[in-house]
Amino acid sequence: MTSTPISKPPNIFSILGPYRGMIILLIVFAITANVLTLFLPKLIAEGIDLYVRGALNLSTFAIQFGEFTFAIFFFTYLQSIVQTYASEKVARDLRSHLATKISHQGYRFIQERDPSKLLTNITSDIDSIKMFVAQVIVSLVSSGVIIIGTAIILITIDWKLALAVLTIIPIIGGTFFVILQKVRLLFKQSREVVDWLNKVINESIMGAALIRVLNSGELEHDKFRDANTKARDLGVSILRLFSFMIPVITFVSSMGILMVVTLGGYYVVQGSMTIGSFVAFMSYIVVLIFPILVIGFMSNVIAQATISYARIYEVLQAPDEKDDGKLVGLLSGQIDASNITVMYGEKAALKDISFSIMPNTKTAIIGPTAAGKTQLLNVIAGLTFPETGEVRYDGHLLAEYERALFYPQIGLVFQDSILFNTTMRENIAFSKIVTDESLKKAIETAELADFLHTLPEGLDTLVSERGTSLSGGQKQRIMLARALALEPKILFLDDFTARVDAQTERKILANIEENYPGLTLISITQKIVPVEAYDQIILLMEGEILARGTHSELMRVSPEYVQIYNSQRSTSTYELRT
Amino acid sequence: MNYELNAEQNKNKISTWGAIRDLWPLLSGERSILIYAGIATLANSSINLIAPLLIAHVVDTYIIAKQFGGVVTFALILLSLYGVGLFTSYAQTRLMGGVGQRVLFNLRTKIFSKLQELPVAFFNDNKAGDLISRINNDTDKLNQFFSQTLVQFMGSIVIMIGAGVFLLSIHLRLGAAALAPAAVLLIFTQLISPWVKRKNAASLTAIGGLSAEIAESLNNFKVVVAFNRRDFFRERFQSVNDASYKTAIGAGVANNTFMPVFGLSSNAAQLIVLVYGAYLITIGSFTLGLLIGFLSYVSNFYNPLRQLSALWSNFQVALAGWDRISAILQMQNDMTILPVMSADVAQKEKAEVLTFREVSFGYANDRDVLHNVNFTLERGKTYALVGPTGGGKTTTASLMARLYDPSKGIVLLNGRDIRTFDPAERTRKIGFILQEPILFSGTVRENILYGNEIYKDLSTDALMKVIHNAGLESLLVRFDGGLDARVAISGDALSLGQKQLIAFMRSVLRNPEILILDEATANIDTVTEELLENILKKLPKHTTRVIIAHRLNTIENADEIFFVNGGEVILAGSMEHAVEMLLHGKRES
Repeated sequence: MTSTPISKPPNIFSILGPYRGMIILLIVFAITANVLTLFLPKLIAEGIDLYVRGALNLSTFAIQFGEFTFAIFFFTYLQSIVQTYASEKVARDLRSHLATKISHQGYRFIQERDPSKLLTNITSDIDSIKMFVAQVIVSLVSSGVIIIGTAIILITIDWKLALAVLTIIPIIGGTFFVILQKVRLLFKQSREVVDWLNKVINESIMGAALIRVLNSGELEHDKFRDANTKARDLGVSILRLFSFMIPVITFVSSMGILMVVTLGGYYVVQGSMTIGSFVAFMSYIVVLIFPILVIGFMSNVIAQATISYARIYEVLQAPDEKDDGKLVGLLSGQIDASNITVMYGEKAALKDISFSIMPNTKTAIIGPTAAGKTQLLNVIAGLTFPETGEVRYDGHLLAEYERALFYPQIGLVFQDSILFNTTMRENIAFSKIVTDESLKKAIETAELADFLHTLPEGLDTLVSERGTSLSGGQKQRIMLARALALEPKILFLDDFTARVDAQTERKILANIEENYPGLTLISITQKIVPVEAYDQIILLMEGEILARGTHSELMRVSPEYVQIYNSQRSTSTYELRT
Repeated sequence: MNYELNAEQNKNKISTWGAIRDLWPLLSGERSILIYAGIATLANSSINLIAPLLIAHVVDTYIIAKQFGGVVTFALILLSLYGVGLFTSYAQTRLMGGVGQRVLFNLRTKIFSKLQELPVAFFNDNKAGDLISRINNDTDKLNQFFSQTLVQFMGSIVIMIGAGVFLLSIHLRLGAAALAPAAVLLIFTQLISPWVKRKNAASLTAIGGLSAEIAESLNNFKVVVAFNRRDFFRERFQSVNDASYKTAIGAGVANNTFMPVFGLSSNAAQLIVLVYGAYLITIGSFTLGLLIGFLSYVSNFYNPLRQLSALWSNFQVALAGWDRISAILQMQNDMTILPVMSADVAQKEKAEVLTFREVSFGYANDRDVLHNVNFTLERGKTYALVGPTGGGKTTTASLMARLYDPSKGIVLLNGRDIRTFDPAERTRKIGFILQEPILFSGTVRENILYGNEIYKDLSTDALMKVIHNAGLESLLVRFDGGLDARVAISGDALSLGQKQLIAFMRSVLRNPEILILDEATANIDTVTEELLENILKKLPKHTTRVIIAHRLNTIENADEIFFVNGGEVILAGSMEHAVEMLLHGKRES
């Protein structure tokens, strides 16, 4: 899926499209505030000139100045509010788009994308786009207005002096261009270093228990130091460029001022320029320099946001999971898998698997570690899609079914325990269709009732993230209850018995048989004895079906099956007794 | 100790000065550079201050008097001044920026070291997503402050102070009048800063929540898909996203109050100077040239102040981030290493390798999982812990490895309080294969040698020999590519059983005195499991094995079987007795 060629992301400015209204408002406020600001020095200059001529009415001047000041305050404030709303809205909507996009994806997409990278997409990458909206638009607009406005005003005051002074702009622009070209590369690298840092931190959080068991804190520290040192060195390299650029630009700007002093001074001495114009020129030249600097810094923000947007765009452009089907039929429990092949890179995890399961039967899938059992389950349940082959339920392709009606009919119990940080009730009645009755029945079947009674708040007890206070067996039984609460037609168990003691296991399986008649059961398991009576046992090895049939058939035809059986026989005396 | 960072008593509310005091130690070792940077800043700011003064002088003395010769002389002086500025400005940015980068480096290191220092309970009590957000997002806020803001901060303050002094020295009363709006501003800033910081703190907390929610949903995505609850993911995301939006708006509005108000006060000051200055000229106590110079000092004072307004909100964000970070830094590990008693040292190697003496234990705020437990493990024997799920087997094993300390009683390792062993020694003696295998992205080789000081530098041939001697070869062949097979932590490329195999090899290669297997082979098929049993049998004679398993065949070779349930750990006389107890014993779960 990741290999699909991604079209080049559109210009970063295109994300502003849907927010046209707000952005226009923002631009209007920014322009107004800045144009008003531009008039202030002119006002002062005129005041001084009038004063020199003795024609200044102080109170009129003060009121006028006050009005301007207040108007500037008003528009700047409005602009800052709109700016906040616009940037946060863009961020919220983009996050929402990403989440919706992700929610439409299949399980395999998430695995291939790597959840931790998606997390960075939703947090850090969106943040730099938010920065872009918050700072760039206003800054570009105001800087543009100020630079153009100032240039015009300077030219109207004295065009010769103005043209001379404005030569600093291309010089500054050139410096920026050269330096930013270099900085951009460093920015990209520093983003990669941050990814690296995050990975080290994440692994050290997820692996906290192991690190303490092995006392490998030192080792983690070394890994961290490498990444952290690299981050610092990159930071210093970026700094080196900036500490070179800033003085150069300041110096060039100062040359502009120097030009005004000498050349402007010369004009005044000559008499071709008034002292008021000279003062105005001085003030405007100061006003001119700052926005040039701002545009330079903004080009950084734009560069960073562009990198982030490309990362997000890649996720947004990924093809959706196949369209939802239309079929709404009730499942009988008949499943036909034909010629299924699943690749993991070069290696085939499943090779040409075909089998059928009849309604209301019990099927066991047995095989050594890494035989491909879990992959097979994922394919049958439609969590991943095979490279070739198809899965049919009641003769119809899995993809033809409407997901919202298909999934409630199958109950999946995964081997890894997956719990949500919410109440026990919500963890078990995870689907919306679960009634109180089916919840109760599921809890009793999974032998959870006694345990839930010991909890102070029963079903309303909060489960911590990763269920840290629950034992492995408790977690697994919660997973089972969650699947059973759907009142499924088909139940998939993936190594369910691994963490449950034999007696509880036996009880639970008996409960299922009693409470859920008509259920089609598919169980991945290691133990043969509990499944001896099953209608079908599939022996899977290295991604291939080695043998298929009832227990007695397999005992006759499959030496591998006999070997597994024998490996378990030593304890079967106990198993039989229990 | 309560390790929950979001718990009320662990939330931090540090004053601005408190935060600066806390951050100060991070600058140790930077003192001399700070002094140089200070000198450069001072020099640079002086140039920025003197230049307008010179220009005012030129205007007053030469331009109005129409003497161009003086103008040229001073232009040359200005040019040399700007030339010096080129170097001081470079030195200032470079030195202060370097300090910022190193401080950030030290800060990250400090947080990471703290994380390594804290016990497992800390990670149980906090959501991974929130921790990641604190370490990544919140340090980044400090990063922005240190790397960008601090340089400008120092420069701006120096220029401001200088400009202020000039204003007052040129004309005391006019200067005071010009500075009056700034004084109002100071009070205003003092008053609203706590509010701004609170708003930012709320926003950062919401971002932490968002991050935690996404991390959880993405890690649990399989269930979301299989139970067709994509809407559950979207709804929960929507609510945290909305919360983050609302708080971010609050923070944004708060941060943006500074800028317009600072602008307003700057313009007010100009107006005051113009009006009051004009009046002063009329009464003859001021000149026009001075007024023009004065006006440029006013903007010299207020321009950096306006910049400070942006910096100040950055500073408030950084402070809010710092609060969340220092909440981690203030956590104390309550599992300290006790001093070794001289009587302990003298003890010879005894048969008893591990003893629980009147041990009770419960997880935070929960009822006791173990109650007054007593037992002894002897060197070289194999023990099995059986019992219903939730009976306390994993907890017992965790206390053996000192992942937690008992709330009452004592655990003795080789006759010595386990708390007196330093972690390196303790973990060398005790190997613990956890229920959930933990791998790191890399290769199989990196994973099985993870944390292995002895074998980490072995050549491939030498390592293969070690693996051969330990009988692990038969497990290694189950990975395509052997030692060099890639391990990705997420994804189904490796099955749970394969992950368990790697964890098993890792522990066996460490050759511990006590090896604890907590359902460590639960998802491994029975044929492979026989291989594992043979490997366990090949361990040195003095190795003590503790096996937790549900499959009876894995425990039938045990020398002793403990039945763990209802807070008790009882010695079962025989396999039959254990099975009997499993069948008829009182059940806890």
